[in-house]
Amino acid sequence: MYQSLLTRKYLTSKLMPILAMLAVMLSVATILITWSVMGGFLKTLVNSGRSLVGDVVITWPNVGFAHYEDLIERLEADPMIEGATPIIETFGLVQLPDDRIELITIKGIDPSSYGTVTNYNDTIWWKPIEEPTPKDRDRSDVRLDPELREIMSVFESNANTLTRFDPASGETQDAGVLGVEVTGLNIRTEDGIYDPRTTAFRALPDGGIERVPGFMPSGGSVGLTVLALDSKGRPVDPVTRTIPIANEFQSGIYEVDTSTLIVPLGVMQRMLRMDEARRVEIVESENPFEMERDPDTGEMRPKRREIVGVDPARATNVLVKAAKGVQVDDAQARCKEIYAEFAAAHRGDVPGPMQMENQIRTWEDLNATMINAVKKETGLVLFVFGIVSFTTVFLVLAIFWSMASEKTKDIGILRALGASTGGIAWLWIRYGTVIGLIGAVFGTALGYVIVSNINAIHDWLGRTFGLTIWDPRQYYFIEIPSEVDLSKAIIVFIVGVLTCVLGSLLPAWRSAKMDPVKALRFE
Amino acid sequence: MSETGTILNVTNVRKTYTLGRVKVPVLHGVDLDVRAGEWIAVLGASGSGKSTLLHLMGGLDRPDRVKGERASISFMDREITSLGSHALDKYRARDVGFVFQFYHLLPELDVMSNVCVGGMIRHGRLGYRTNRKSIQGRASELLGRFGLGDRLGHRPAELSGGERQRVAIARALINEPRVLLADEPTGNLDQKTGDSILDTISEHRASAGLTMVMVTHDERIAARADRVIRLVDGRVQEDPGL
Ligand SMILES: Nc1ncnc2c1ncn2[C@@H]1O[C@H](COP(=O)(O)OP(=O)(O)OP(=O)(O)O)[C@@H](O)[C@H]1O
Ligand SMILES: [Mg+2]
Repeated sequence: MYQSLLTRKYLTSKLMPILAMLAVMLSVATILITWSVMGGFLKTLVNSGRSLVGDVVITWPNVGFAHYEDLIERLEADPMIEGATPIIETFGLVQLPDDRIELITIKGIDPSSYGTVTNYNDTIWWKPIEEPTPKDRDRSDVRLDPELREIMSVFESNANTLTRFDPASGETQDAGVLGVEVTGLNIRTEDGIYDPRTTAFRALPDGGIERVPGFMPSGGSVGLTVLALDSKGRPVDPVTRTIPIANEFQSGIYEVDTSTLIVPLGVMQRMLRMDEARRVEIVESENPFEMERDPDTGEMRPKRREIVGVDPARATNVLVKAAKGVQVDDAQARCKEIYAEFAAAHRGDVPGPMQMENQIRTWEDLNATMINAVKKETGLVLFVFGIVSFTTVFLVLAIFWSMASEKTKDIGILRALGASTGGIAWLWIRYGTVIGLIGAVFGTALGYVIVSNINAIHDWLGRTFGLTIWDPRQYYFIEIPSEVDLSKAIIVFIVGVLTCVLGSLLPAWRSAKMDPVKALRFE
Repeated sequence: MSETGTILNVTNVRKTYTLGRVKVPVLHGVDLDVRAGEWIAVLGASGSGKSTLLHLMGGLDRPDRVKGERASISFMDREITSLGSHALDKYRARDVGFVFQFYHLLPELDVMSNVCVGGMIRHGRLGYRTNRKSIQGRASELLGRFGLGDRLGHRPAELSGGERQRVAIARALINEPRVLLADEPTGNLDQKTGDSILDTISEHRASAGLTMVMVTHDERIAARADRVIRLVDGRVQEDPGL
């Protein structure tokens, strides 16, 4: 009882406990901010990655696999699967308007089903919007401009169909969608939006400079070179084609946005020769003495038969989205089962389930190295901050030690009045707990407020001091993750309180063990 | 135990302090018999061990254990030297009250709380909750009787020395102990204030039948006691002259 009374009084009449509280508050806030941002970074990474490729990816690289429509049909018939879409993923060279040549990831997609598995439609950048993006306070986004509404709508529908109307020929052509950072001609402003450059400059060999149109969706195109595959799936000749650009997309993952080109699946199949083809097989007759005349040369040769079949079109990947509420791992397992049935139905035409065992993967599997690196980094940073915060224990210890020394006489008095050693120990532990609780409450609140407004704070730091900590060119994401996980907040809170309790134990023990007579004589 | 019987008995008590390697013997076999309701004044030169004796009787400290000798301090026939620390805490909380020369109030608490703290310690958390009314009633009654009725919300720093000592006495009496152990309660006060403190104590003593052992330097104060003893060379000398 006297402990709570004294705790209250000691709290309000001294500066020391305020210092201890501040120490706890700062360490709690620091850890919470670090953990939230790093954890949020990982979460955003996984989520954006997943929204880019769906939950499960079935891959047979390079040559791809046939009958994918049947596989998709089987997958979509399953209640655990919401949708599936075929894509061809490969690498190529892209020639930009200013003649720079870049290595690029090409995704051949089926525009009608791609959006049901991925969030493709949300990532399309050039489209009319009603509300400015959060950081765009002066509404400088061209997409908000009412005069450009109509043309923006055209861009958007072009992106959805992957086509563009060519006024010169009067034809609607297959078109591609570029990552918004690929050309380098869209300038990202402080507001987090893009200012398209109307013109780009192309260096000429004589030292001159030529102007070329910079805004890709209106008339821009890129040259795309890929290596076509022979019937065995081996790359043979380079194939080059001009791809008109319908629109640009922003996935939020910088690496993707700087090096991806999306084109219609059919275009990729034709360029890579993975489209449906007539197959001519020559079989010699069973009777070795039967002869016939070669129609081309006029010479005699053993009689042969031509068997004509159809080589079905192929895709390198099928992206699968799990139904709502289905765990990714469960969906992955189900995909493996469905694939086994599919492979049994097309024995000899598609890779068997054994070969596919490690080719049916989640996005996390595909990016395990990167994700684990981020996880490790988070762990390391937390460990370092944990050690830094551990010094708080010693700070609290020092503060409590000096307070307990200062209060030696009070302890003697309380003992003379009959207080037990346990009661005295509890006085300090309780005091530490209360200080820890208050410090942790304020620390958690501070951490929460800072994390929630971290982008605004970051912008403000940038404007006021020219300090840019989170550069979208060095980090994957354009915005700093700003979500506080409840479980993390609880853990950090408890650790904060424990820090204080831990710091109060030694002073409590010393106070309790003190000879009351000596305590009374203490000056 | 009757009112005239022995309430506190000290037999052959020795106390030696150890300062590093040096042993400082202070009490060499003290014998003292305190009868219930009695007021004993303890005189003695500075450093003669008066405070030490008081602390021993109040269970704040333990006497030396010497082989082959039986030293004991007993309160109402109960041996307190052999009590466990928990029982000793209880003894201090219930049976004795301490008053010190330098008041020893808790500076952060107001007058009322300083007095009630004794009750809180004695009754524990739950006990104090249920007895709160009666404890607070007794505290304000005592403080009122000591002329501090209008100072209940003041901090010790806002009181004079005499007032502080009155608060300390009220605190010592809050749990209605049988014995009051006072260590030079007026030693730090001027004569007039000291006298009025003594008046307060003796008034209360008379009405409550309190036993009192009071350490003092002052022969004049000792003269008011029922019995005076002197500590000389670590032993008790009855002072028949008074
Ligand atoms: N913790 C200790 N360690 C060593 N010596 C001590 C200790 N406490 C007291 N002493 C010594 O014991 C002796 C008795 O001290 P005590 O305080 O009992 O004397 P006192 O009679 O009360 O004196 P005063 O009248 O000055 O208060 C003194 O010589 C003192 O120095
Ligand atoms: Mg003394």
